[in-house]
Formats: sequence, C-alpha cells, structure tokens
Amino acid sequence: MAPLKSLESEYPIIDSDFRQFCASHAIFSVEDFLVHDIYVLMALAEEHDTSDRLKQAITQVLSIIDAQHQPWLDGLELLGYSQKSKSILSTGCERIDAFLRGGFQGGVLTELVGPSSSGKTQVCLLAASNVTKSGLGRVLFLDTGNSFSPTRVAQFVSSSSELADTESSKILPQVLDNIECRSVFDIFTLLDVLHQLLQNLRYQVGQNLRMLIIDSVSSLITPVLGGAGTHGHALMASAGFLLKKLAYEHNLSVLMTNHMVAGDGGVIKPALGESWKSIPHIRLLLSRDVLNNICSMFILRHPSMAIGERVEFAIL
Amino acid sequence: MESAVKDWIKADETAKEMLTRLFTERPFLPLPPPLHKLPLRPGNVVEVAGPPSSGKTHILMQAAISCILPKQWKGVQFGGMERLAVFVDLDCRFDVLRFSRLLKHKLIQANSNDMKSQTQYDKELFAECMRRFLYIRCYNSLEFLATLKTMNKQLQKQKDIQGVGVHLLVLDSIGAFYWMDRALPSLLVGGSNRKSLSLQIVMENVVQDLQKLLLVHPLLVLATKNSISGDKSTADELMRNTSSGPRPKHREYMPSVWQSFVTHRIHVAASEHNGNHQRQHTYLTEWILPSVNFSDRFVINEDGVFLIS
Repeated sequence: MAPLKSLESEYPIIDSDFRQFCASHAIFSVEDFLVHDIYVLMALAEEHDTSDRLKQAITQVLSIIDAQHQPWLDGLELLGYSQKSKSILSTGCERIDAFLRGGFQGGVLTELVGPSSSGKTQVCLLAASNVTKSGLGRVLFLDTGNSFSPTRVAQFVSSSSELADTESSKILPQVLDNIECRSVFDIFTLLDVLHQLLQNLRYQVGQNLRMLIIDSVSSLITPVLGGAGTHGHALMASAGFLLKKLAYEHNLSVLMTNHMVAGDGGVIKPALGESWKSIPHIRLLLSRDVLNNICSMFILRHPSMAIGERVEFAIL
Repeated sequence: MESAVKDWIKADETAKEMLTRLFTERPFLPLPPPLHKLPLRPGNVVEVAGPPSSGKTHILMQAAISCILPKQWKGVQFGGMERLAVFVDLDCRFDVLRFSRLLKHKLIQANSNDMKSQTQYDKELFAECMRRFLYIRCYNSLEFLATLKTMNKQLQKQKDIQGVGVHLLVLDSIGAFYWMDRALPSLLVGGSNRKSLSLQIVMENVVQDLQKLLLVHPLLVLATKNSISGDKSTADELMRNTSSGPRPKHREYMPSVWQSFVTHRIHVAASEHNGNHQRQHTYLTEWILPSVNFSDRFVINEDGVFLIS
C-alpha cells in the first residue's frame, strides 16, 4: 500500500503538515492506518490548531482505505453475477458430467486426490482436450512432473465418437495450440506464474482462458512443508488464495491433483494436511480397479453434494 | 448550578424501562439449530469450531437465513428477524447458489404449512430477503482490516436504504489468514514505535474494530474456526494410551486477544457413532463455552441442517 508522501499529488489534503502529524504517531503509509484506531487519531487531531484540516485528511485516507477491499454485494447481485458468469465445463466423460451436474464449475477450485495411477492425470487431460475441442477456450496446463502427453490428447480427440477421422485430424493442431503447457518445478515458480497470469488477465492479455490445471499441486507444496518453520504453510496458503482469486475473478475452472500419504494407523489420506483442506471448494477421491480398468470417484467435500456419493466410470 | 447537579443525580430511567429498551434494541435472537439451546443476543461473539467438512458454513448460512427472513409476510409466519445479515467471506468459498436454494426451501416450507402449492415460492419475498444479505470477500488480512475499518459507514448506509438494521455479522473463517500472517515480514522502517504487521497486531486490530462496531450496531458475531486436530503429538499420545482418556477436541491457535473476545464457543464434528454411515453423515455438537452438558446430533441434506434425536 502507498506511502502517504506519494498520495499528495492526487490528494492535496495529505500535505506535509498532516504527514508530520502522522509521523509523530509512527504512521507512514496507508497500511499503517489499518493497524491504528481511527477514533483515537481523530481525538488526537482535535488537540492541534489545524484540527479541521487534519480531520479532513483522515477522512480522505479512510476513503482511500474504502477502495482497497473487494466490493460489497447484496445477495441478489451476488446471485446474478454467479448465474451470469459462472459456467460449467464438461469433463468429456458423460458419467462424470452427470454426477457432477455438468462438469467442472467455473470460479471453483476442484481437487482430484487419489493414489498413483488412479486416473487423476487422465481426468485432467480428458477435460483439457474436451474444452479445447469444443472451442470453449484455452487451457493452461502447469506440469510438475512431465505428465502432459500430447499423444494422449490426440487419442482423446480422435476417439470422440461424433467426429470423423479426417475431421479430428484437422482440429487436432488447433486443440494442441489452445493448450499451453508449462513446466513448473517449485512453488516459487508457481507463485510467479500465477501472479503473471493475474496481471495478464487483468489487462485482457491471453483472453478466453477457461481452465487452469496443476498436475500435481502436492509435488510443489510438499517439499516446503515440514520442519518447525511457518514459511512453508504461508507459501501454501498464499498459493491457495491466489488460485481462489484467479478462479473467482476470471471465471476459471481450476483443477489440481494431489497424492495420498499414509496417515494415522496406516490409513491412507490426501497429502498436504489439515490446513490445505480448507483451500479447495470441491475434493474428489479417485480410485481404480486394476483388473477391469473401472475408475470410481467419491465426493470428499462439496458445497452441495453429500460426502460419500460416488460414480464409476472408465476412461478409454 | 443546583439544577444541573439535580439533573445529574436524577435517575435516567427505571430498571423496567431499561429492560424494555434492551429487549427491543438487543433482543434474544431466535437462531436455528444447533445454536438454539443457549439464549444468544447482539453483543455476543459465538465461535463455531470444528475440523474441515463438519458443517460449520452450513450452520452460518442457516443463521443468516433466519436473520433475513421476515417475521411474517402476507399472513404467513416465517419467524425470521427481518434484519440485515453481513457475511464476510475470508475463506473465499461461499456458494451463493447453495445459499439461495436453502432460502427457497425455507420459503416453500413456510407456505406448505398453509396447504398451498408445494414448490412455489414468492419471488418478490425472495428478492427482498436476498437484498438484506450483504456479502464481501477478503483475500488477505489487509483487505479484511480495510473492510472492518469502513464497515460502520457501509452498515449505516444500508440501514438508511433498507430501513432495518443489522443483527448478524458472520466471519467465515477467522483463522483463514493465520499462516500468511504468521509469516509476515517484521521489518521496521522509520522508528521503533512503528507497528509492524504481525498476527498479533492484525488480530488486536480486528478485535478492536469489531468492538467499535458492536458499540454502534446491535450485532451478534458468528465466526467459524477450523480446529486443528491429529497433529503428531496427539497422535502419539493416542497410540500410547488407546481408548483411555478423551481425545483433546479443541487446540487453540488463535492469539489470546481473539480468545478472550469470544463469549460462546460450540464445537462441531462429524460423528462416527452411526452404524450405517454409507449415506447419512451425522454431526455432533458440544458447547465448550459455557460448558453445558448437552449435545445435539444433526444431519445436513439438500434442504439444510436438521436435528435428529
């Protein structure tokens, strides 16, 4: 937030006299105002000979503060906004679409958890190829373990029944063109990429991005957790809130994968622990029967579906 | 001079007058289960603690709905408070579609007592209720503080527009920025008495700003808090003395300034008691502050939170 000095050109009331008054109470920036009692400051300003100007300036700073939170919405506005702009992207698998009431929601963080080879990456690749194939928009695939496979995407495109072979080979370049794959190997790069993305979307660069996939988010976060320090958790929470902001403000469907670890008494549970649990809106558990290749999806967390509901599906 | 002294020592109001005034300005609020057992009034700060996915947000949504519902409308009793409810979304996870479904269900339910149609609800009433619901989201502590610093103005404005005041302030959830705040850089530029941002300072100011709001507005503060369970030390203890000794349900991590601000605390947790836990997940409540000796069991389904006996 801005130092008071830089505000004078825009708001002449924040003059050197006012800044001196603030400095005597150890206030140098708008941020400092946030951790001071405004009522006390008003009372202190009263004691000065220029109290009127000082109080005006404090009111001015308050209105600057007022512009630094998200906008207030009433329930109707919020509902209207969410009905108008929040879309649902088909997953490319009819059974999952029916189960999740249409697919992956825009504005929402969906986490796929499951042991290795339970179909997490497959679900991601299928969704990515389906979004781009239907021409709905672009997909950004953040790859942490070289799991992105263009060949698999090509398979998904050609195996979709509604397209003839010639047609599918024609749209394949366009599909692959609309999936941007970036390698990300640590959480700092992830935060950089997400900040950059937020900037780009704000200034309308890279328009029509609809889906953000991180495969896998746990391999970026696990290395910084552990130990006695708090910074790992802080990085994790920052990444989480950044993703929520991106998803909500730019109507992205965010899809993340997470692996499983052994918990108390050998029961396996999703990695990243308790504090991460409050980050994703939706948490889906995947498992796969090795014999017949049937995958199952369980609800672990969902704002409107009951925990434990499940569906079986196969990805060919 | 003498009259001034007389005026000063004269009683302002009788106890009866004061009670009547208090009960109209700050009446006991009819909150939905599982918050119905204790008398709660504006000025109270209730913390709903529990692990993730234990129905905390649902409890808050139900409370907000009973705050925005009218007492009665076109002859139908709704039993609401007909006041504004403020929802500060710190987890950034509020699902407005779910909220509107819960509200619609309440409207239909009240109508069907009348033996009228079962699926119709009054669109006009729905819009009126939704307008009484005020929502804001915060992505970090600075936005949260900026919201609180300017909330009085906003509430006053809404009160003038809508003609009714606020009775409920919901914070979901209070520990959302805990880790981010704990790692705030403590750099001190410009004098040693400059307050550096830290978890402690942030919470002190949050509590201070809330206290200021409580003086002006008759508000009940309802906050959720994710409780941290299953950390390494308790897990080890559990291994050593299995089945003996109760498992600690509540491990406090918020700064003491917040802890002492809370007047009531209820703990909710998913219950593993039920035998057939394929479909119906049940949840168990326990009042910790004041520690009273009853607990409720509830389920959450399509239509909201319901007690089961």
